[in-house]
Amino acid sequence: MTKLIAGFAAAIAAHGVAAAQTEYSPVDGEIGMLPAASKLAEEVHFFHNIILMPIISIVSLVVLALLLYVMARYNSKANPTPRKFSHNTLVEIIWTGIPILILLAIALPSFDLLYKEDVIPDGKQIVADADGSTTVFTVDNDFPASRMAAADRHVQVFLGNASGAAGLTPGKDYTLDGLGSPKIAIEMKEPPKAGDRLVIRLGRSLVGAGADKEIALAPSMTLKAIGFQWGWTYSYPDFGDFEFSANMLPKEKTTPELYRFEVDNRVVVPVGETIRVVTTARDVIHAWALPNMAIKVDAVPGRLNETWFKADKEGVYYGQCSEICGVRHSAMPIAVEVVSRPAFEAWVNAKRVEAGMEPMFGAVASLDDQSRVAAVSDGAASQ
Amino acid sequence: MAHEHSHAGHDHAPGAAHGHAHDHSHDHTPKGLVRWLFSTNHKDIGTLYLIFAICAGIFGGALSGLMRAELAHPGIQILTAFVASGSEAEAENFYNVLITYHGLIMIFFMVMPALIGGFGNWFVPIMIGAPDMAFPRMNNISFWLYVAAGILATMSMFAPGYGQYLGFAGGWVLYPPLSSNTGHPGPAMDLLILSLHLAGASSILGAINFITTIFNMRAPGMTLHKMPLFAWSVLVTAFLLVLSLPVLAGAITMLLTDRNFNTAFFNPADGGDPLLFQHLFWFFGHPEVYILILPGFGVISHIVSTFSKKPIFGYLGMAYAMVAIGFVGFIVWAHHMYTVGLTVNMKAYFIAATMVIAVPTGIKIFSWIATMWGGSIEFRTPMIWAIGFIFLFTVGGVTGVVLANAGVDHFLHDTYYVVAHFHYTMSLGAVWSIFAAWYYWFPKMTGKMYRESLGNLHFLFMFVGVNLVFFPQHFLGLQGMPRRYIDYPEAYAHWNLISTYGYYVMLAGMGVFVIKLIDAFFIYNKKAPANPWGEGATTLEWTLPSPPPFHQFNELPRFDKGDAHAFH
Repeated sequence: MTKLIAGFAAAIAAHGVAAAQTEYSPVDGEIGMLPAASKLAEEVHFFHNIILMPIISIVSLVVLALLLYVMARYNSKANPTPRKFSHNTLVEIIWTGIPILILLAIALPSFDLLYKEDVIPDGKQIVADADGSTTVFTVDNDFPASRMAAADRHVQVFLGNASGAAGLTPGKDYTLDGLGSPKIAIEMKEPPKAGDRLVIRLGRSLVGAGADKEIALAPSMTLKAIGFQWGWTYSYPDFGDFEFSANMLPKEKTTPELYRFEVDNRVVVPVGETIRVVTTARDVIHAWALPNMAIKVDAVPGRLNETWFKADKEGVYYGQCSEICGVRHSAMPIAVEVVSRPAFEAWVNAKRVEAGMEPMFGAVASLDDQSRVAAVSDGAASQ
Repeated sequence: MAHEHSHAGHDHAPGAAHGHAHDHSHDHTPKGLVRWLFSTNHKDIGTLYLIFAICAGIFGGALSGLMRAELAHPGIQILTAFVASGSEAEAENFYNVLITYHGLIMIFFMVMPALIGGFGNWFVPIMIGAPDMAFPRMNNISFWLYVAAGILATMSMFAPGYGQYLGFAGGWVLYPPLSSNTGHPGPAMDLLILSLHLAGASSILGAINFITTIFNMRAPGMTLHKMPLFAWSVLVTAFLLVLSLPVLAGAITMLLTDRNFNTAFFNPADGGDPLLFQHLFWFFGHPEVYILILPGFGVISHIVSTFSKKPIFGYLGMAYAMVAIGFVGFIVWAHHMYTVGLTVNMKAYFIAATMVIAVPTGIKIFSWIATMWGGSIEFRTPMIWAIGFIFLFTVGGVTGVVLANAGVDHFLHDTYYVVAHFHYTMSLGAVWSIFAAWYYWFPKMTGKMYRESLGNLHFLFMFVGVNLVFFPQHFLGLQGMPRRYIDYPEAYAHWNLISTYGYYVMLAGMGVFVIKLIDAFFIYNKKAPANPWGEGATTLEWTLPSPPPFHQFNELPRFDKGDAHAFH
């Protein structure tokens, strides 16, 4: 027991972070979806829990109710003489037509969700300091024609100041001019006060469920995951391509809750930034899965597959290899640790030094506007 | 008119009135080995297929029992006792062997032989008023190829696959590179490929036989649009077999040459593509799941109609819904491959195409209910199974609609949700229809009645058990548990234990099934009348005595005179 605790403590200390959060882990006896940890996953949950589940439950219950009704009403005691009809065109049209309508109601949001998941977001963010008098802010709409901001929903404007950040409403707080053209002018109804900041996002990947949607930004980094029998090799091509392997921690080095989830070297990524994940494999097919982010992508030898995620909160998220790959298929988990930008940069520096490279980031993390995207969704107050 | 005529057949054909017919069937019925080994009689071959399917079902069910026992608790406890070295690694490999052969055996050696080889052979010729299948000797070779395929598959389980470990352990889908020399260099995989070749050849021959029989040997006046729905379902199934199995044969042949002759169809290092195999496999694999379920649809239609004492509602819609399902089934294959890296537009197409299948399937479900509507329903054992089928298949169908959405499938793909989904359609769908058919036609095939209380008890145990096994697996999937895992984190323990308890309940149900069999033959031992089900049973098999004579319809029933009655 002591050994077990010591082993676990050592595993944690190696990363210098707090114990793995469990609020995103599976819960014994739970019947719903694993909690969502990203806006996109929230949308997947919305689609499954609010659209699909009610529909399939109602359909099943209607069939059950009809069966129970005919069993009660038309059993041989209740109805000794069977009727002989065998056609009813109207009824047949109805039960062909209604399912078509239901399926259309499912398919339309389904396509929308699919494109958000599969098209790597290319959104961009511009931060403008207000001077108290300027009311018109012009931004470049420099996307390929098919991805240009061309509708109200392709533009988000936030006003940040000392008391926090607020999303502004098109029409009420500002009007847009030049949608679909190379320059977009954002005309504020009232000039923002000097010292306030206007955060403008452009892009077509508007993700999130309900009112809490955000335009996802282009990836700030790429994570390369290479599956092998039986573990994962990760590399960070944007940071000198250092590489390390992640192997499952044996039973005695972790807890029963985390056994088959925890690895010796977790992947570390910054919170609030879009991460592009590229997968491939060395031997057989594996699959890189992160259910809290609702993503899963096969790692196929000879191919590069990509997907993306953006974690909203710091923490550790777990997944497991999801394509049968031989003897130890159940022993190659995925553990992703989401940390703050400064912690991420410190970790990158350490990894680079390990690999014989110079540190990449200075003692004070340098934040350009592109990489500050994270803060916006959590509230611009921190800036 | 036709009805009376065939009743006349029932009275006379096998009996004393036609002394000649009697002598013929009596004197020329072969005995012993000659009868069963060289059989060209569709009913005997059907019986052989059914016995084969029962044996395979017991074997495949035992494999799943080992899986559920191992999964009852986290950790690896049971399977280490079943492997030579006793090591955890070999146990892990053995678990993967279990899931692989459970799938292959249940699909290729249990459901297909039972529904198509067994009930198809037994009842398609009788239902269409034919004396036998079109190619009786081909029918014989079809069956014995199946036996050879079964032997090869069993041998493959005990041949080295990965290193010294026995068996192929890569899942029934056989994806390379796991199934190529990279993943399984041993002979287990080669034996398995040869087994599937033989099983495929057998099924293609069988399918050709069914198509020919149905197109050429229907009784005079029985047009396709008067043909019973079970014959329709087997006809559509036969077309699916003929069109899809050659694709599987091609894919596994390419795999075989990759493994043995250094070709590189699926080897990326030499310019091949592992995904090519997946496309070919699922071009076969998706029609295959309709091959498994369509004959079940046919059976259920007859049972529902018989025990509601009403003609089937929307006969043409029912027939063409099966044709539509069969057709669309060919153009949805890549919904099994949403995570492999398809382009987004391709996924969008496969979402749309997959959803279309829900429409004809819905037509079938509602038409069964409409058949019962206004009927006078007798809750005999087959009817209870059929009603259970309708509900359980609906549950399996709606989760299919969930999985059709790639956006959600990225979350659910290869989790237990998928396992729950396809077992609701296959284990609680196709297998349910097999039991329904068994109880429906058992008196006809054996000439013996069974105690319906035992059949109903069997249903009760199975219904409770199988739902306990598979419903909680939806929850496991939603909680993210991947399939094909021998061991799992503690947080998946609860539902796994419930699922395993469900297996034991189901096992008790199978015990009742065996008791029912023994009871029917040796204790209850009550002779079945020609038609035990009453006025609702209108198809031709109920006009023959139970069991039917060795050769039936020496004089063909006619549907082309007077009031041409449709037997459906």
